Parts: sequence; C-alpha cells; structure tokens
Amino acid sequence: MEFANTWLPFIYLYGVGGIAFVLGMLLILRTKALRVSFERDKKWLWVLIYGFLFYAGLHATFILLAIGSY
Amino acid sequence: MDIAVGTTLDRYVILAYFAIVMGFGAYFGKYSKTTSDYFFGGRRFAWWLISISIVATGVGSHSFVKYSTKAYQYGLSSTMTYMNDWFFIPLFMFGWLPIIYYTRVRSIPEYFERRFNRTARYLATMMTLLYMIGYIAIQFLTLATALYRIYGIPLMMTVILIAIATTVYMHFGGQTSVIFTDLFQGLILIFAGLLLFFLGIQYLGDHTAFSGLQAFWMNLSPQEKLPLAHFNHPPDFNFVGIFWQDGIAGSVGFLFLNQGLIMRFMAAKSVNEGRKAAAFNVLLILPISAIVVSNAGWIGRAISNALPGVLPDGLAANDVFVAVTNVVSAPGVFGFIIAALCAALMSTADTLVNASSAIIVNDIYRPLAKKAKSEKRELELARWTSIAVKVIAVILVPFFNSFDSIYEAHGWFHSTFTPPLVVGVFLGIFWKRFTAPAVIATFVVGAFLMILGQFIPELISPFSHGIELRPGRGYTYIGALYNLVVCASVGVIVALFTKPDSEEKLYGLTIFDVHKLKSIYKGSPVNEEKGKNALVKWKVKDTDNNVIRFSKSDMDLMKALPGDLVYVQDSRWWLGGLKSAHSTFGEPHNEDGVAYINSMHLDHGQFVEAYQLKAEKEM
Repeated sequence: MEFANTWLPFIYLYGVGGIAFVLGMLLILRTKALRVSFERDKKWLWVLIYGFLFYAGLHATFILLAIGSY
Repeated sequence: MDIAVGTTLDRYVILAYFAIVMGFGAYFGKYSKTTSDYFFGGRRFAWWLISISIVATGVGSHSFVKYSTKAYQYGLSSTMTYMNDWFFIPLFMFGWLPIIYYTRVRSIPEYFERRFNRTARYLATMMTLLYMIGYIAIQFLTLATALYRIYGIPLMMTVILIAIATTVYMHFGGQTSVIFTDLFQGLILIFAGLLLFFLGIQYLGDHTAFSGLQAFWMNLSPQEKLPLAHFNHPPDFNFVGIFWQDGIAGSVGFLFLNQGLIMRFMAAKSVNEGRKAAAFNVLLILPISAIVVSNAGWIGRAISNALPGVLPDGLAANDVFVAVTNVVSAPGVFGFIIAALCAALMSTADTLVNASSAIIVNDIYRPLAKKAKSEKRELELARWTSIAVKVIAVILVPFFNSFDSIYEAHGWFHSTFTPPLVVGVFLGIFWKRFTAPAVIATFVVGAFLMILGQFIPELISPFSHGIELRPGRGYTYIGALYNLVVCASVGVIVALFTKPDSEEKLYGLTIFDVHKLKSIYKGSPVNEEKGKNALVKWKVKDTDNNVIRFSKSDMDLMKALPGDLVYVQDSRWWLGGLKSAHSTFGEPHNEDGVAYINSMHLDHGQFVEAYQLKAEKEM
C-alpha cells in the first residue's frame, strides 16, 4: 500500500487538525476561558488532551492493523 | 435491481413505531408553558439526556444511505466524517458554549446582531433558514423514497404523511418533546444499527470459514480496512477534500452554527452539563454512530468478497443498505430497522423545524413587531410557524428530487450555505477586530466568489491538492477550502480597512470575556465556594419575589448566600431534570430540610408531593 493511502492522510489530519487544536487550546488558556487553577477546569484540560490522543491512537491502530494484514 | 420491499409484518412494525413516537412526544406538551420552554426546554436537562438526544439529531435518514454507500465502495474509511470533530471542541466548550448560554442569546442570527448589527442579523437569518428548511426537505425526501416502495403510496403523499406525523408531537411539545422523543429515537437508532451489525457478522460466520468478528475482518481487503481514504484520489471520495469539507467547514458549521444543536445545548441545566454532553457525544457516541450508519456497507462488502452472488449482480451502491438488511434479517426485524430509518428522519426533522420556528419568532417576528406580544401569543405563533416550515419543506421536495442523488443535494447545501456563516461566526468570536462591514462583505462578496468558483472550477485548482478536475462536474469536497479562503480573505481585508468596534459593544460577546460571563449572567459577583447538594422537602409559599428559601443550615451545607442562583430538581435522577426549576436563594428560614417554593416554580417544575427535591447552588 502506498504512503498516500496510509500515513499521509494521518499526518495531514493530525498536523493541520492538530494546529487548529493547539491554537484553540492556547486561546482558551490565554483568555482564561479555561482556568487551570480551578479543579474542575483542570479535569477538562486533561479530557481535551485525552480526546485528541484517543482519536489519533484509534486511527493509528487501524492503519497498523490494515498494513499488518497486507 | 429489484430489492425487497418488506412483508405485512414489517409494515405494521413501522406504523406501530410512528404511533408510539407521536404519543410519546405529545405527552410532553404539558412542559411547554413559555417560548423559553418551547424552544430551549427551560434550560433544565442533564448531560446524558442532551447527549443521547443529540445522536438522533446528528444521524439523519440520509446518513444510513449515504454512509453505507461509501462503506460498501471504500470500506472503513466511511467513518472519516464521524471521527474528525475533536479539533474544535476546546473552542466550542470553553468559547462558544459559555457565550451563547450566559448571554442568553436565543439564536445564531441574534448573536450576529449583538456582535455586529441588524443587517448582519437579517442576512444570517435568511441563510440559516434557507439551509435548515432545505435540510428538512432532504430528510423528507430520503425517507419517503424508502417508504413509498414499502407501502406503494405515491412519493409526495408519503412526504405529506411523514410531515403530519412529526407535526402531531412537535406542535404541542416543542423542545421538551423533541428532546424526549429524540432520546427514545436515539436509543432505537443505536440499537437497530448495532443489531444489523451483529446479524451481519453472524451471517458471515454461518456462511464462511471464519467465525464472529474474524469473519468480518478477514473478508475485507487491506485497503478496505484503512480508516482514512486515499489522500487525493478518487475525486468523489478522497481524504483531503473530505477533511476540508467536513473536518473543518462541517465541524465548525455543526458545532457553532447548527441552530438545532445550539438549542439542545441551551436546554442543558448548566454550561458544565453542556460540556459533559459534548465530550461524551464526540468521544463515545460519534464512533458508535459511525458503526451504526456504515456497517450495512461493510457487511455488504464482506459478503460480496466472500460469497459472490448473494447480493444481486449489479447492486447499486445506494441500494446496499436495504439489500443487506434484507439478506441478514428476518421479517419483522427488517421493519424494525426501517423504523430506525424513520427515527433518524423524524428526530433530525423535528430539531430543525423547532430551530427554524425559533428563528422566525426570534429574528423576524420580534424585531419587526411594533409592540411586545404576550408569551401566550408568541407560543401560539411558534407552533403555527413550525407547521408553515414543514409546508415550505414539502413544497421544496420536488426541487431536491431533481438532483442526481440525495448525496449531491446534501453536498450542494453544505458547500453553498455553510462557509460564509462559518467565517462570520468564527472570526466574530475569536477576533475582536472583525467588524460589521466585514461580516456583511463576507456574506455578500464571499458568496459571490463562491458562486464564481462553481462556474469556473479553475479558480479552485490552486487549492486542489492534486485532486483531479472532472470535466463538466468540477471539484466536489475541496471546493470547501476555496470557499473558506475567499470568505475569510474578504472578511479580513474589509475588517482591516474599517474602524473596529468599541470594547463596550463587544462586552461579553467574544472569547476574551468568557471569564467574566458568569458574573454578567448572574448580575452580581459569582460565589465559587464549593458546597454540597441538599435534599429537601418542599412547600408552596407565594411571595412577591422569584426566590426559593432554604433553612440556614441547608444554605450553609450548599455554601450559598441570598442572591446566589439555585437549581432544584426532582430527586429521581433518571428524570434527567425534566421536573426542575432555576431560581435565586432568598433569605434563610428556620425549618431545616424544607424549601419554600412559589406556585410559579411548581408550575414550571411540575413537582410531585411525594418526592423530595435535590437543590444545588449554581453560582
């Protein structure tokens, strides 16, 4: 399977999408929309990071499984 | 190709389903006393109720046909559009959601007036309404296309009957009915979709050398197992085009501009409950929904690979959902799964109808009405406009029926109406420098450049990422990138050449003020001291003020002070806040374990004497 079929979409998705995600995170932190000094907001910070890693991990796992069955 | 049209048992199952939903929805009409109740459900519901009801809103009847088609053609990459929504979740949860909730904005166009001016509001109203009513028409068409083959009733008559069925429960119930029927329909959708997957795997296990999930996995090719499509090929299904059309424009459009979704979040009892609903939905429910809407196509592909001849030769990809359902399920079950298709239609349509009606009352009627009208009159108007919206949607059905496919009609909508609104709302929230002339230019000039791009596809070529230009048909998804760039460019250029708005005008309307919104909402300093919830009995004691009074020790337990905001609900958690009310803490009394409410709270909350109330300090 060619690169454009496997890892290129993944890199693009979490590269460009990742930029949007990181900019969003920086914006909510810098504007104090999310305040890590609040216990509840701190939990949300981890949920947000977890969500990003969860989807990246899920996509990577399926790509590896598909490549493995080639 | 001739495909099954069901048995008599299937037809009864579908009819029974319609009857149950209509009765279920009409029952909740008693909870709609005001336009706030009708449109926002009184801002009282728990996160899990909001979250599951959103499933039914997001999964339309077109979803089953659309995604199972792509799943049959390309495999697991059909899930892409359901798995790329997390990137904008931080900005939604901590930017947009608190802004709309705490500023008490009732609609997206109203935000445009507060943030920009009335012209921006009217332009946004027009575009939003066109988008939503057209979307409703597409939903009617999709389901009618399936049902008229089963019942043999002419297509337009089927459309009218579906419109009447959804009217029965929506007319009286509004948002509360929508939420509860969507909760029911969401569960039906998920169950039916997963049942189909289970039956499909069982079928493969019974007819191939493998068993269980292995039978499914081993009968897909490696390419069909990939979760993301090829980067830029073929033109009608490639990763990069779908990323820009759905992952960026679609995600922002859905989270920030879908009036139906926004109203659902505004029905949450608090911003934090809305955040929980959003997180749960995107992290758990969306991946499940992706399986629900796609699996008929995957099973169909695995059957075609392993057992040639089982599915009819020359099966059109669009027919795979019905064909696979027919192969793997028994009579009655087929009817149940088609009933799930009905659930998808009704739940998406009811949300959009309620949202359209909210916009007509809030953004057309109220600004134009010379005198303020009574709640009763506005509620009546809201009910009748929801019927008018459906009538217009029914009239539009033949227009959409003229497109080559429902998929194409749906895509045309997204690419035409979403980008200017996406740019307008996004820059409005996150860039203080964005001005009223800039947003109007985005709508008008941006829309013109978008239309130009449709006629001259070469304009889109620099953004194509190597996707092939199809002669006579242009680009499909990657046009969204061009549309976003031209709209944003127009907006940014005009903004830089116009005078920025004052800080006073923008107060509370951008992400930069989110940390002040709670105190704006409350009207006094916020009490952030963490207390415990109190379980209390209640008595009705009418007073002049809209307050609920607790004993001194109960207020100490909640760390509450007079003037703080309080939320009381029936102590049965599974009601999800249906019986609840918001109010303000009054001066304490001396009767421990008892709350003094007034008749307005009782009327709104429909509390039952035998059950205690759970009280919590909001802020």
